[in-house]
Amino acid sequence: MAGVGFRRWAQALSKGRRPGVSALLAGCRAASGISKDTLPGPYPRTPEERAAAAKKYNLRVEDYEPYPDDGEGCGDYPKLPDISQQERDPWYQWDHPDLRRNWGEPMHWDFDMFIRNRVDTSPSPVPWSSMCKQLFGFIGFMLFMFYVGEKFKFYLPVAPKQYPYNNLYLEKGGDPEKQPEEVKNFEI
Amino acid sequence: MSSFGRALGIIRTGTQLFRGGPQRITTRKASGGLHDELQYRQPPQITKSQKFKSEFLGGLMWFWILWHFWHNPDAVLGHFPWPNASEWTDEELGIPPDDEE
Amino acid sequence: MKLFYACSASTCVVLILLLLLYPVILSFIRSKSPKFEIYYHSVIALGLSFYISMMLLLLSLILPINMTVTILPWTNTDVFDMDISLQFDLYSVMFMPVALYVTWQILEFAYTYMHADPQINRFFKYLLIFMTAMIIFVTANNLLQLFIGWEIMGIMSFLLIGWWHGRADANIAALQAMIYNRVGDIGLIYAMAWFAIIHNSWDIQHIFQLPQNEKINLPLIALIIAATGKSAQFSLHPWLPSAMEGPTPVSALLHSSTMVVAGIFLLVRMNPLMEFNPTILTICLCLGALTTFFSALCALTQNDIKKIVAFSTSSQLGLMMVAIGLNQPDLAFLHICTHAFFKALLFLCSGSFIHSLNGEQDIRKMGGMLYLMPITSSCFTLSILSLMGVPFMTGFFSKDTILEAMSASYVNIWAITLTLMATSFTAVYSLRLIFFVLMGRPRTKPVSTMNEHDPYAIKPLVRLAVASIITGCLLVHYMVPPKMPVITMPPILKLAALIVSLIGFVIALGLAFMANKQLKPKPPSGPHHFSNMLGFFPTIIHRFIPKIILTMAQKIASKMIDQTWLKKTGPKAASNINKPLATTTSNVQRGMIKPYITLFLLTLTIAGILVYFTIF
Repeated sequence: MAGVGFRRWAQALSKGRRPGVSALLAGCRAASGISKDTLPGPYPRTPEERAAAAKKYNLRVEDYEPYPDDGEGCGDYPKLPDISQQERDPWYQWDHPDLRRNWGEPMHWDFDMFIRNRVDTSPSPVPWSSMCKQLFGFIGFMLFMFYVGEKFKFYLPVAPKQYPYNNLYLEKGGDPEKQPEEVKNFEI
Repeated sequence: MSSFGRALGIIRTGTQLFRGGPQRITTRKASGGLHDELQYRQPPQITKSQKFKSEFLGGLMWFWILWHFWHNPDAVLGHFPWPNASEWTDEELGIPPDDEE
Repeated sequence: MKLFYACSASTCVVLILLLLLYPVILSFIRSKSPKFEIYYHSVIALGLSFYISMMLLLLSLILPINMTVTILPWTNTDVFDMDISLQFDLYSVMFMPVALYVTWQILEFAYTYMHADPQINRFFKYLLIFMTAMIIFVTANNLLQLFIGWEIMGIMSFLLIGWWHGRADANIAALQAMIYNRVGDIGLIYAMAWFAIIHNSWDIQHIFQLPQNEKINLPLIALIIAATGKSAQFSLHPWLPSAMEGPTPVSALLHSSTMVVAGIFLLVRMNPLMEFNPTILTICLCLGALTTFFSALCALTQNDIKKIVAFSTSSQLGLMMVAIGLNQPDLAFLHICTHAFFKALLFLCSGSFIHSLNGEQDIRKMGGMLYLMPITSSCFTLSILSLMGVPFMTGFFSKDTILEAMSASYVNIWAITLTLMATSFTAVYSLRLIFFVLMGRPRTKPVSTMNEHDPYAIKPLVRLAVASIITGCLLVHYMVPPKMPVITMPPILKLAALIVSLIGFVIALGLAFMANKQLKPKPPSGPHHFSNMLGFFPTIIHRFIPKIILTMAQKIASKMIDQTWLKKTGPKAASNINKPLATTTSNVQRGMIKPYITLFLLTLTIAGILVYFTIF
């Protein structure tokens, strides 16, 4: 697009008949991009307009439902259900098997979001909320247990612990009157 | 640039014409080549060498395991017992006998 | 003597690189090479490079090992020096022959597996470029060299996963691998930037010598993220099982034995930085334990043979991470080496089964392969036993040592619990594989083409099988670990790894006998769903994050900003502001004399007043 614009711009300059801004502007792309006839039409208000719009988008009147007229500029563009292409039947003979799409089929407003290698909305055997609960519960539990494990470390000693003062005889509440037995941790 | 590419294309086609010969068309076959014949409900044809090789590999593995188990059981069962210093003799420790002067 | 070693070692590496690149260059020069030309050249190149690297290994066993050879300066400025330099230490010298041997066998096997592929020359070319990158990565002594190898591996992984790009699933898998690896790359780039800014150096040896302070945690965490992305640790793991969409030789080479261990290898390389840093080691330990447990859990209920093997790879990578977390990088490295053999073998055997069953990957539809393909079955069993850590098989020497080191050190109790549980899970899913694939009656389609008579398909398997029996022992005998592993411990700890494996085996056996009975079919339970759907992780993450990002892109970037720009600030706003002004001024000018005179008088009066006030 930019290349075309540049070429036209260059042509306009080289002709030299119409110098100035108007020549430059003619070669520029409009900022809004789409031309008027590819934009959606005005929001349909009467049943006849709805029928016309549905026909325009290759939809049945029953299936046709425009976006609410809240000033976002969707006009009469149909509001299709949020279903990804991945969810569609893989075995049906689509016109574009890679996109799972038929020719002339209305596109979702966010079609780029629902192509096959982006968002997938196909149903899962487990509901979404319970999936989230299980996954984040699992991760949370693991993190918690790692925290606990950090507090209580695992160590299997090969010998009993040795303390000074006859294995802390007095500190362990031994009788100070009685002479404790000599603890021998090693023999020479 | 495009004219240059077109000229190249013409030359390429020309060389192909000159090269002549039967055009080889690459075909893809499901069978043939390295693959065996398609079989339908037949018992497997296992050759003797196949059987021998498979048994040999298994045998090699068991030989390796058992041979090492025989010669080096410590690697599995623990290297050596926890040293008990009291059992060490003076001779091993290199301590001269008490009566030596 | 040192000079001799340096010269011969760098000559070896350069020779290997040249040999590996020769078929690639050949394919560039000759645009139309006969169908298997590149294949023959690459097999010869790989075989020769393997022998050269073996020579290097033998040389380094005789001569001093650790050495850095600077080949030529790259950029030298006042503040930042960078040289092309190669590192010859235990890791690089040992890993090269292992990787080359495995690649060699896999390439030979790929001849059968990819026989019908029209682009087979390109396939081998990719594999060779990948191998070159791996060698650059392994021998790099410079973070940039390392990064170059790392990135080429990533690209090759993307291209090879998406090999059958006509299939949307393969494309999705390739994209996933790319995106997850990008997250890891950002970590590596961050660490590189940090070292460049703080230490003014990318030379690895130089970085080790610099004083370390508290701030080193940041780049180390970045390195862990890099390893997480590349080595499919938990939270960046879903790409690895998806990568099984690629051809089986690719899975065997890249996604089990060589590329995925690059992340672990990076941490092994960088270990001197994190040696005395308990925070980082704890993170590694917990991450590894979580990964090994989670992947083993997911492997339990998968039905796709390649998915099971992929998850077991992920689980073993977690075990390597645990070894790094235990501050035993040599054990992690040993496991990298031994794992390469038996995991590649496992993949090749499953590839052979899949190929013979006309692409059937579901283990429930296999069965009885023992009677149909005896050699492959032998190799399969053997590699599985090695994976389970049966004594004196290759896997035993590394896996058992890691578990011993773990149980003998002062570690997080939950980490060790998870690791031991994962070990017993390994036994369970391994037995499940054997039970479904090898035993029982064939549940295949009655049409079959068994190709075990083909020597090209069998030789690599047998070679790898012999390697996965004996290499563990050899590696342990010839690798002198700089860090002493634990040598003595009570029998209960010594036998812990074996005991848990045995428990898993017994449980699986019990379950297998239960599976023979006719039971009333039940809907799958919650835990089964959790395991079968990979812990819901891919489902949630792959739906939620893209949806948020794309919705935001649509609503904010595309809709809101465009509309604000066009309607509120840009052209429309200009016209809205100018319109009232223009209408007011133009409304006055209606071509009537009275308003003009009025205006004239008005301005005259104002001018008069102004003049009056300024003068007086």
